[in-house]
Order: sequence, then structure tokens, then C-alpha cells
Amino acid sequence: MSAIRVRFWGVRGSVPCPGPKTVKFGGNTACLELRFGEAGRLVVIDAGTGIRELAAHVMKTDLPRGPLKTQLFLTHTHWDHIMGFPFFIPIFIPTTELEVYGPVTYEDDNLNEILGGMLKYRYWPVRLEELAAKIRYHDLKEGSRDLGDGLWVTSKYLNHPILVLGYRFEYQGKVLCTAYDTEPFRNVFDVAPDAPGYDAEAVKEGEAAAREENEKVSRFFQGADILIHDTQYTHQEYLAGKVGWGHTSFEQAVNAAHRAGVKRLLLFHHDPDRSDEELERLERRIRASVAGHSTLQVFIAREGMQVEV
Amino acid sequence: MLRVIQSYVGKMPPLPVTVSKVLEICNNPKTSPVDLNQVISLDPVLMGKVMRLINSAYYSLPNQITSLVRAIIMLGINTVKNLALSTAVLSTLGKASDFQALNMEGFWRHSIAVGVTAKLIASKRSVDVKQREEYFIAGLLHDIGKIPLNNRMAQEYVQAVSLTDRDHIPLYQSEERLLTVHHAAVGKMIVENWRLGENLADAVSFHHHLGEYAGKHRELVLTVAVSNLFSNTYELGFSGDRYPENLSAALLAELGVDWDYLESIEEGVKAEIEKAQVFLKVAR
Repeated sequence: MSAIRVRFWGVRGSVPCPGPKTVKFGGNTACLELRFGEAGRLVVIDAGTGIRELAAHVMKTDLPRGPLKTQLFLTHTHWDHIMGFPFFIPIFIPTTELEVYGPVTYEDDNLNEILGGMLKYRYWPVRLEELAAKIRYHDLKEGSRDLGDGLWVTSKYLNHPILVLGYRFEYQGKVLCTAYDTEPFRNVFDVAPDAPGYDAEAVKEGEAAAREENEKVSRFFQGADILIHDTQYTHQEYLAGKVGWGHTSFEQAVNAAHRAGVKRLLLFHHDPDRSDEELERLERRIRASVAGHSTLQVFIAREGMQVEV
Repeated sequence: MLRVIQSYVGKMPPLPVTVSKVLEICNNPKTSPVDLNQVISLDPVLMGKVMRLINSAYYSLPNQITSLVRAIIMLGINTVKNLALSTAVLSTLGKASDFQALNMEGFWRHSIAVGVTAKLIASKRSVDVKQREEYFIAGLLHDIGKIPLNNRMAQEYVQAVSLTDRDHIPLYQSEERLLTVHHAAVGKMIVENWRLGENLADAVSFHHHLGEYAGKHRELVLTVAVSNLFSNTYELGFSGDRYPENLSAALLAELGVDWDYLESIEEGVKAEIEKAQVFLKVAR
């Protein structure tokens, strides 16, 4: 039995996008099902719209074996990563025990209030207070945490317009990492020398800071057996107006994974406008570019896909 | 007595110049990291507070961050903007231990309430977006004159607040009676000392004396007066003024608001105060 198994229930970024152009890769937003060891212990990452079908699956496979006790890790609280939460049926079952972990940005409410904000009469007929399950919320920072049974998770801040955590799960010597939504850190102080406010010292400091932060992210997924990485844009798209939007290009993600000695790279968080045809073409192109240069295996994540290590 | 206050005002730190700059920079969606770095770096006190916050348990970063440039790259411009904004606003209010007759928390909530209300009225009146921050600052600072009175003449100020409660008169009248000077006049000194501009000076000086005002910033002054009356009447925070003078319906009509409207924004204003409360906890 493999140590870690991951199944993709939603692979899109930004907004769900069902339709004839997204049949093969799927239109649901981010949701991952992780299973650990023989017992098949369940951990969920993100509550995008994919979580609705995960819920049905859990009801069929887990619930007959007893009450559900699980953890949900949110990478961040942007809409596409939480909007499926009210559709996660186990939260309506009194015996369910759910621990929700996630980062909270300085000026915002805590996790309970952010998720609870969706469960109000104006949006939805059931209020947070009416949920039957026992749900505990944990505002998460950077650090490592023992989840019991030899399962460890390490969280790392990434680069997005809101606080985002990447997660590194380690179990029985195997490693699965997430690095989304994120963009490589860059020196935002590197402006033209004649621009107002130009500061040579800041440019230098910014250069070092961006480099070091990127090195930290690289160390974070160093040697991962599976890395699930943001690739919302092609590099051409990235350079043509998406710099600073908090997402990575296919090219950047592949290079970063290769440098960090990652074994399998799953490209994830597809742009809602990206068609099946384009994704297939990109997959062929990327594989051809890697072949012969790297032992890195690259896949484009699609709904229903399972990967194990 | 006036001389004591004048000397106190003269010694007040000149922070609020940065405050208005930070507000301006932080409320401009086009602000670049370079601008933000520059405006925060200009003020060592603000810079120190922002850095302390970044290195606080709030983020629990494993390594000490020692430069603002690095903080902006790591945490993003939005986060640092918000940190700077909240820190700057708080710094105008002095330390909790300086507060005697009025309690800092209540005073602070009142100041935020008036600022937020003034800004809401400004947006209802379709005031130019760039100018709305001016309304917020005017509201936030309108009672700034109470700080020296409260801190430098604590005993007399306790009596002034009691007199207001006993005789049901506006606080500025009790102040005049017991201290010979009222908070709007003291506020004027501070704002002029800080060179915050005629508009803010007028709003601070005339928010209880609309009838005497003949200057160019009537809309701003009136907005602050109405916001202040609303915050006192609905007890949003506490500034010692339990029996404020009423404003005529004509004045409210001049501004295009009525009590129904004010009542309708009460929850929104409260929510803004609560949001700002988070800053208060972390930034101190």
C-alpha cells in the first residue's frame, strides 16, 4: 500500500468553468483529497467547488466505517478556495469532527468568521450556528505540526495578494507539497534609475530579499515526491500583464521543481479560460522540453486524477 | 492656563504629518511599493512600529525581518499598507497611560466613529474619491484638542466632564467654564502647529461653532459636526460629551442627510470600529 495518495476533485483557479471546453480537465475549483497509509486517513486541502463531489464520495466510502474525523487545510481564503464549504455534506452530520486550518490576513476576521460569513441567510439557508458537526478552527502561521500517527505538516508563506500557505505533508518518508496560489517573489523596488523615489539601496535589498525568499520556497519543496504547483498562466501571458497577480507560469513552475529535485510535478490551478485542447498541447510541449534534461515527471492535474507515492 | 496648554501643544510630536501622507498613499490603489517604502521610511517612529508588528507573534515568522523593503516583498504591498495605516492612525492618540478623565479606548472609538461617518456622508454626497480621506482625517482628529486638556489638566478635566453630566450642558461649555479654553480652540492650535492645512484646522476649530463659520470649507465642517453629533447621540465610543448641542433640521438638510439615514449607517460604522479594533490590539 502506498504511503500517500492524492485525488483531484477540483483543479481550476478563480471561478468554476463548466462547459464543452473543460470536459477533460474539469471545471471545479481547488479541492484535493489526501489519503495516508493503509488506514486511508483522510485530509482535505481547500474547499473549492470540487469538495461537493468529494463529499458524496466520503459519504459512500468513509461514513459506513464510522463517524468522520478529518482535517481541512485551506491554502488561503480567496473565494475559489472556500466557496464549496457549504456543500461539504459531512458538516451537517452531528457525529462529524472537522478541524479547519488556514492562514488569516492581518486586517480580516478569523477563520470561523470568514467561513461563517458564507453561511448567512442572505447567501444560504443554513447558518453556521446550525451546522450539526463539531468544527474547530485554527488560524495557521508558518511552522510544523504533528497531526498524529506519524503524519506531519509544515506550512510556509507564499507570494499572493493575501496570506497564502503552502503545505508540506510528510508520512512514512514520503513527501507531498502544495505551492499555490503563488508567484515567484520579485524585486518590486527595481524601477528605472530616473523614476521618482528610486533608491539604489532599496533595489539592492529588494534583490537579496526576493532571491532569499525564492530560495526558502525552493527549500520548502526540496526533494518532494509530489509537488502540486500553481500554473495559472503561460510565461507569455504572465509577462503580458499578469506580473504581480500572484500566480506562476508553467515555465517558472517546471524550472523551480527541477531545481528543487522534485520527482513528480502536478500543474494545477488552471486559468478558467484554458481549454482542454490548450492544456493537452501545453502538457505535450512541457514534456518534450523536459525529456532528456531532467528526471522530473510532469503532469497536468485533471479532475478525478489519482497519484500515489 | 492657556500658556500651559500652549506649551504642551508645542511639545506634541509632529507625527500626524506622516499620518496624512500615509492615509493618502495607502488609500490610493495605484500606490507603488516604492512610494510606500518612502513614506514609511520618512518617519522612524512609524517605521519602528510597522517593523515591530511584522515581527510580532501575529505572523510568527521564523526569522527576524529587519528591512521594510523585505517586508513589502514578503508580505505584499496590501498587508504592509494596512499595517502602516493602522499604526499611523493609532499614533495620533497618544499612550493609554496619558489618558486620565477620558478613557483611551472610548475616545479612540469615538474618533474612529466620527471619521468613518464623515467619510460615509462624503461618499453619499459623491465627494471626489481623493477628498474622502480628508473627511476621514477631519473626523478622526476633530477632538484632538481634548488630549492636552485631558492629559495636562487631568483633575480639572474630570470636573468638566462631571459638570456636563450634572448640568446637562455640552462639554465645550463646561471646559470653557472651568478651564477658560475649550477643546476646539486647543485642537486648532495643534492642527496649526502641525500645519495640516486650513480645511482640517477649520473642521477642528468650528465643529461646535457652525454659526460663526464663514470660511471656504463649510461642507467639511458641517459633515464633521453632524458626524460628531451622531456618534455622541448613538454612543459610538465616548468623548465625554453626553449632552451635545442639537443641530437644526435645516443644517442636516443642507448636507442632504436626516436621522433615518444616520440610523441606517449605524451598523456599518460599528463594523468599521470593530475592524479597527484589531489594529488597536496588535499595534500597541
